[in-house]
Parts: sequence; structure tokens; C-alpha cells
Amino acid sequence: MEGLLQLLFNGLSVGAVYALFALGYTLVFSVLGVINFAHGAIFTMGAYFTYLLIGGAVGANGLLAGLQFPFALPFWLALPLAGIASAAVALVVERIAFRPLRDRGSDPLLALITSLGAGVILVNLIQLLVGAESYSIPVGTLGSLPAALNIAGAKVRTVQVMLLAISGLLLAALSIWINGSRSGKALQAVSEDPITAQLLGINSSRVIQIAFGISGFLAGMAGGLVGLSISIAGPYFGIGYGLKGLGVLVLGGLGSVPGAVLGGLIIGLAEACVPADLSGYKDAVSFGFLFLVLLIRPQGLLGRPQSNKV
Amino acid sequence: MDAGLLEQMLLGALLGLSVYLPLRCGQLSLATPGFFAIGGTVAALLSTRVPALAGSGSTYPITSVLLEMALAALLTGVLALGLGRVVLRLRGIYLAIATIALVEILRVVTLNLEFTGGALGIFGIPQPFDSAAGYAAFTLALLALICWLCDRLEKNRPGRAMAAIRDDELAAASQGINTADTKLLAFVLSALVAGITGVVAAHFLNSWNAKLGNFDASITTLAFVVFGGSRTWLGPVFGGLLLTALPELLRPVGDLRLIVFGAVILVGPLFFPKGVITPELFKSFKRRIRGTPTAAAQGVKP
Amino acid sequence: MKRRLASSLAALLSAAAALSACQGSEDQGPVNLSKGVPVGAVLALTGNANVYGQDQKIGIELSLAALNGAGGVNGKPLSLSIEDGGSAEPSANAAVSLEINRGILALIGPTLSQQSFSAGPIAQRRGVPLVAPSNTATGIPEIGYFISRVSAQSSVIAPLSIAKALQLNPGIRRAAVFYAQDDAYSTAETVIFQQALTAKGLKPVTVQRTQLNDQDFQSQITAALNQKPDLVVLSLQAMDGGNLIRQLRELGYRGAIVVGNGMNTPNIYPICQKYCDGILIAQAYSPELQTPANQRFTAAFAAAQARNPKVSPIPPQLTAQAYTAMQVIGEALARLDRRQPLKGLPLAQARKALMAEILGGTYQTPLGEIRFTPEGEVIQKNFFVAQVRMNAGGKSGRFSLLP
Repeated sequence: MEGLLQLLFNGLSVGAVYALFALGYTLVFSVLGVINFAHGAIFTMGAYFTYLLIGGAVGANGLLAGLQFPFALPFWLALPLAGIASAAVALVVERIAFRPLRDRGSDPLLALITSLGAGVILVNLIQLLVGAESYSIPVGTLGSLPAALNIAGAKVRTVQVMLLAISGLLLAALSIWINGSRSGKALQAVSEDPITAQLLGINSSRVIQIAFGISGFLAGMAGGLVGLSISIAGPYFGIGYGLKGLGVLVLGGLGSVPGAVLGGLIIGLAEACVPADLSGYKDAVSFGFLFLVLLIRPQGLLGRPQSNKV
Repeated sequence: MDAGLLEQMLLGALLGLSVYLPLRCGQLSLATPGFFAIGGTVAALLSTRVPALAGSGSTYPITSVLLEMALAALLTGVLALGLGRVVLRLRGIYLAIATIALVEILRVVTLNLEFTGGALGIFGIPQPFDSAAGYAAFTLALLALICWLCDRLEKNRPGRAMAAIRDDELAAASQGINTADTKLLAFVLSALVAGITGVVAAHFLNSWNAKLGNFDASITTLAFVVFGGSRTWLGPVFGGLLLTALPELLRPVGDLRLIVFGAVILVGPLFFPKGVITPELFKSFKRRIRGTPTAAAQGVKP
Repeated sequence: MKRRLASSLAALLSAAAALSACQGSEDQGPVNLSKGVPVGAVLALTGNANVYGQDQKIGIELSLAALNGAGGVNGKPLSLSIEDGGSAEPSANAAVSLEINRGILALIGPTLSQQSFSAGPIAQRRGVPLVAPSNTATGIPEIGYFISRVSAQSSVIAPLSIAKALQLNPGIRRAAVFYAQDDAYSTAETVIFQQALTAKGLKPVTVQRTQLNDQDFQSQITAALNQKPDLVVLSLQAMDGGNLIRQLRELGYRGAIVVGNGMNTPNIYPICQKYCDGILIAQAYSPELQTPANQRFTAAFAAAQARNPKVSPIPPQLTAQAYTAMQVIGEALARLDRRQPLKGLPLAQARKALMAEILGGTYQTPLGEIRFTPEGEVIQKNFFVAQVRMNAGGKSGRFSLLP
């Protein structure tokens, strides 16, 4: 029993990060039907913003070497501010990589490439400005919380519990917004059928901007939280999650918000179940899983049946 | 310019063609790096483990390379035939993600197997040519051959069927085109091109490891086609040549080089939504050569 | 339509021919000394390995300044060109070819072992001395005569730290081993660690595999802790290793930790922070080595970093090794020039003679005294075992050398 509980914790702690990452990913997919390959880079920026806002200094190798804000915010304030800054970056990405394609009526799949270009620019811009070294959010940032919790014999790091809780909160807030607000309903309408939505008088451009803004906000928060948990490994920090996030996205159902969370947790759990001797095959297991789901139920666990939109 | 860079550009063009073939019938398959990796692994294993292939001369015999290519083509072809039946039921972004998953699974398996050299890979791959120029000439011939075949394909029945499926799959099916088989044909051809390209690349790179066929490569090769254009074979060739060369040609801008590269792949599709090379471009080019005044040209005249 | 195909193919062919026609320099001409004595470096300045290249660049530049400050190559300054080799093979090959075509006499790099397996043969075929500053995989000098390295293989260093851990704590009975399975350095070093453990009668109770880009190790750690280890041995790089140590301690592990050479960099401090304290590390370079060469190097490094007081003034191993590679080339060039003046010497001949000179010398470097085997493998006199001591805030620390 203790082993099982530990397995559950292990899976949830990894899965929470995947879920958090995929939330913003899926939001953009739901309105545009394409993947935003710059999402990983925006996530990375969120981590760096958080680091700077809590008073961290830039190392010796970027153009901004030695930069340090004259103030040091508490983590709880820095995190949402980093989210807002990341939302601004996401809006810029939308403006330069997505909107021109829509304005010209081009094939939406081109956004795969334009967003990739935006991602390459962002990652290399980070390196140019702050260098390639790793940064970390100090261990003591959370105050006097214990480093790990011991629940019925199973151990889990406090940071991971927090990550899980925050993913849950964000999911709840997002669901309330989507189902309860005007703009949320407009988002649903656009993701259902953009042309009809337009006919109904919904400004789809505005809705897409809102989706990008929220997606960027979530990515930034996720980046800051992951940075707190495992440090910021350099400009390529978020890119690895982009690939895993893709799996999560499909598993949960492309464009489905609760699906993204469920998908993240399932992939996390599946990875935790891989025995130690075979841990090299961990990534293959999650992608194998994803592959099977695609073949059996292409719309994902919680997605709507595949439309011809893409 | 260095012949080594030319060789890398030519390999890029071949990979571009491999992504282009399924895309010609509207199938967004990103499995190319996976088949490329299989081809490379076949070449690396055969040329380093089978002494009979090494020949007696100082350089590795070209005939052995051709044999490796045949075996790689056979292996990737059979694999694609089996996998294609399964994955081609998916469409659009779903097919793209399923093929990315396949590439990742293959990468992880290669990494874990003993005989593929694990993380380090296989090194000391023998050289059939003394210089990069030799590789470039060989690859150029290969590229010309495959371009010729693509051109034939575009004009023949299966090629026209592919174009019909891309334009409207339901309409194509109602005209009696066997859409499943046509799509499978394109997928298998794509795998063959990627597989034999892998063979050349493994020799050229001297070493081979699992990282050479990964997610990044999937997206980069897609960029070749999107950038160059997916309506005619010249598009992916152009895209592959240019986008492989670009990071190298941008070296003089130093630290900014990848930022500029990113800007080029961002801006390209905005200005050339159908890719740089389109059939229309050919038509206007031809008109200009023949001296027929175009509407635009007439408009400028006073 | 036929004509269209023919003309496009013809255009393609002629473009290709034109491109290959402008292929770079002939190696038969004399060495071009107009801008100084040309030396090149190919480092991973972009891509996943960018942090290594960044550390190496500092070392090479400091070494260049030191060499030129002391008169360069008998009065002629060294001119260095650094190119980005990225973190993959094709980009490293392109950068190596570019440097060679520029007419450089010797080359430092590439950063990763996998890149050297791919780009090394190019340097070998073109007869250009290549000194690898950070490759630790087996088989690098064996690529050919022109390939050498200043980075010692893990096989020599790793067993020392196991012996030290047992000396400090003879009660150790149960060892757990971690390594990153997709990393060439890590997979090579863990074999040595596991052999060393078995030789001491400590067959590992568990071996956990990770991936280089993994940063969350909760699963592997809890699985390992179930085996109640009292020694944990890691073969990981700074980032994943630092995270693993932090998570290991947070999840309650109290025993000894031995880490491999990949973590011999102050870059681990910000990652495992206060939890870095006490880890034992096998070092190919110790900043605390008291030799004139190392004191000059550490002083120069501290001076260069002084403009930024928040950065550690203690050089990482990669920086010291890159410094050493440049120093080896600079000193060998000076000896060669005295024997056979570089001016007027054909480039190919100068490169060949330089290689013989590199292999023949003995060098007083920050790493201590080093020489080469005829194959180009480094023979290093000093290896070290250090223990990390973190300062009170957990933000900075030092590798305190153990006797």
C-alpha cells in the first residue's frame, strides 16, 4: 500500500508539471487548431521573469550581465507578475507569427513554422541577453515550509504538492472563466466554429488574443513554478516540455482544457510505473501510449470527435 | 563555400523531398527523421561490422554504399508499408503528432539497444570518398535522380491522384481513386528517400547516434517544405538547400545568427504563404522568357 | 514541360558546381601570418550544450591573453577565431571545415565527444592538429594521429573518490548508482564507478537510469531509497546532477554522496544550493592546486569576473581545460617556430610539424604537469578528490581539496 501511494505521488508530481504546461498549449489549440511551438520558449521566459522579479542577478555572460532589479518581490507576487509579462510576450508572438497569417487567409498549418521561428528567436534572445548559465530560485523562497512531506509513509517534495495544487486551482479558474463569462463563452463558440461565431457577431480576433494572453500567463506561471522546483536550466529549459506537452495534449484531447490536466497526470503516472531497470524506456512508454490512444480514440480522452478543421 | 556545406545542403534537399511526398497528397507526416535514422543506423552497422563490405582498396567501395542503400530502402520500405496502413487513417495534425511519436519511440529504442552503441552511437564509419567534394557529387547525382522521379510522378497517374487527394479527398474517392493506396504509396516513397539519405549522411558524418533523428529534425525538415513550397518538387529542394545553408551563411553576424535564422523562418511563410517556389512562379517566369508581356508589365508601360 | 525539368536540373547542377568551385583555401600555400599566428576553436555556443561552450570560451580567451601578453609566438601575436559548433554533429563539422579553410594551424574543440567522433575525422583527413578540451569518451585520440585531448578520461579519476568515501566512512555497505543513459560521458563513467565499487566489495544495491534532460527524479530517488543505501554515486552533468542531489536530500537521504567529473563546476552551487554541502567529487582540475601556472590562471579568472561581484570567482574545470588546450598549442607553436620559423613554411607542413611538437612537449598548466602519449591521450600528473563546502547562505561554496 505504501508503495502504491508513493507511486501515485511520484506520478502526480511529474504529471502536475506536464498538466500545467499543457493548459496554455491546449487553449491556443482550441481556438486556432494549430500548435504554438513558441509555447516552450514563453514558459522559459516566465521562469526568467520570476527569477528577476524576486531579485535575482544576471550572470556574467549576457548583454545584461550584472543586471539586478533594485527591488526583490516575494515569490507569491513575483509569480503572477511573471505570468503577466509572459502574457505580453505571447501577445507579441500572436501579433507577429499568427495574426498576419489569418489576415492573409493563409493555411493555418503555416503557423507551425512561423511559431517555431518565433520560438527560435525567443530562445536565442534569452541566451544573448542573460547567457547560457543556469539560475535558481533560492530554496528558502517558500519560507519555513518543510522540504518534503511524509504522508502515510510515502514521501513527496513540498514544491511538487504546491505545483499540483496550483495546477488544480488554475484549472478550476479556467473552467469557471470558460463556462461562466462572456469572453469564455465566446472562446468556446470560436473553437466550436469560427465562421459561425463571426456571423454571431463575436470578434474572433479579440477572442484569439484573449486565448493567447491567458495561454502566455499560464505558461509564465508554469515556468516560474518549475523553476522553483528544479532551477532554470538555461535558455533551452522549456523546449523539452514542448514535446512531452504535445503528448499530453493529444492524450487529453486536443483543445480540451480538463483533458490537458487529465492527460498530464496520466502520462506522469504511466512514467512513474515504469520499473527502474527499464527506466531508459520511460519516454518511449509515454509516446507509445500516446500512439495507441491516437489510433483507438483519435479525439483523445476528453476531446470532441475529430473535425475537418485541421 | 566549402564542399562539406554543399553536401549538407544536398542532404537537406533530399530530406525536404521526403517530407514533400506525403504532403503532395495532403498528408502531414513528420516521420522523415525516423526513417533517416534507420537508414543511417543500417549504414553504420553494416560498414563497421561487416568486414566483407570493406573491399580491398584504401577507400570504402561505392558498391557497398549502394548495397547499404538497397538494404536501407528495403527495411524502411517494409516498415513504412506496415506503419503507413495504421497511421494514415489519421489526418492533419493528428497524423503529424502520431508520426512525431513514432520518431521519438524509435529514438528511445535506439538509445537503449546495445548494438546501436547507446548514447555514444557508432563511430569510425569508413569513407567511400576522399573529400567532401566526392560526397557532394554523389549526392547531387542522387538528388537529380530523385528529382527526376518526382517530376515523372507529378505528371503521371499516381501523381495526379495524389494532387486530387490533396485538393479534395472525398471528390478524389468518388472519381474512383484508391485513396488509401495512393496515400500509402506516398508514405512509402517518403520513407525510401529518407532511408537512403540516412545511408549517405552516416558515411559523411563519420559517426551516427540516436540524436540525429529527433523531434527538432521533424520540425526543421517540415520548415524546408513550407518555406520552399509544396506544390512542386523544386520547392522542398530549394527550401532544403537554403535553410540548411542559412545558419552557416549567417556566421558573420555572430551571436545574432540564430535570431536572424528564426526571423527568416518566421517571415518566410508570411510573405510566401505557398512557399517561395510555386507553379505560378514558373508560369510567369516562362512568360517573361518567351517575351509575352504580362498584365503587370503592360500596366507599367506609359 | 520536359524543358522545364531539364532547365531546373541544369540550374541546380550549375549552382552546385559554382558552389563547389569556390571551395576554400589550398593547404599547399604558406602559413598566412598577416593577422597573427592563426588558431581556431569550435565550441558549443548554442544548443543544449551551450553552457559548456560558454565556460570554455572564457578559458580560451584568458589563455590567449596570457600567451600574447608574454610575447605570443616569439614576438608574433596569436590570432584566434572562435566558431559556434552548436550542439549537434552537422554544425560542428561545418564549423571545423570553416576553420580549416581559413588556414588555421591548430584547432581547439569540439565540445562534445559525439561531435568529435564526427568532426575529428575531418581534421585528421586534412592533417590539422585538433586538441579536444573536454571530450572524455573512450576512443577520441584513436580517431587519428592529429587528434589529441587534454581532458582525462573518467577511468583514471573516478575510483579515487570511491576510495576516499570509504576512507572517510568505513561503515559504508550499500551503494546506489545513478547515471544519465543518453549521455556519452555519463554512461562511460558509471561503468568505472561500478567496477570500482565492486572491487571494494560494494556491488551496487540499485542502478537507476535517468535522461540528460530529466530534472525531476522523484521516482528514481524513492526507488533507490527503498534499498536503504548509505552511499549514492552519481555520474551526471551539473544541471541534472545538481537537481538530483537537491531532491535526494529533500526526500530525506542523509548518507554520503560521491559525484563524477561532470559536476566539477561551480555551476552546481545555484542548483543544489545548501544541499551541495559535503558531496565528494572526483576532479581532473582543482582550483586549489598550488602551482604557479594555476595561481596565474585563477588570478586571471578572478580578475576577469571581478566586474560582476555576484559571479563565482572560482574557475570551473571546463574553463581550466580549455585554457590548457590553448596553452598547449601556444607553447608548441613557439617551440616549432624556434626550430623551423613559421614564416614561409607551407601550411600543410607546418600543421604536421606542429602536431609532432604538441605530442613531444611537457606543459606546466593549471591542471598540473601534463604530457601526451604518442596517440594523443593526455598524461596528467595530478588528480584530486574534493569535498564541497557551502557557505552559510547556501549560495556559494568551494571545492575543498582533500589530502
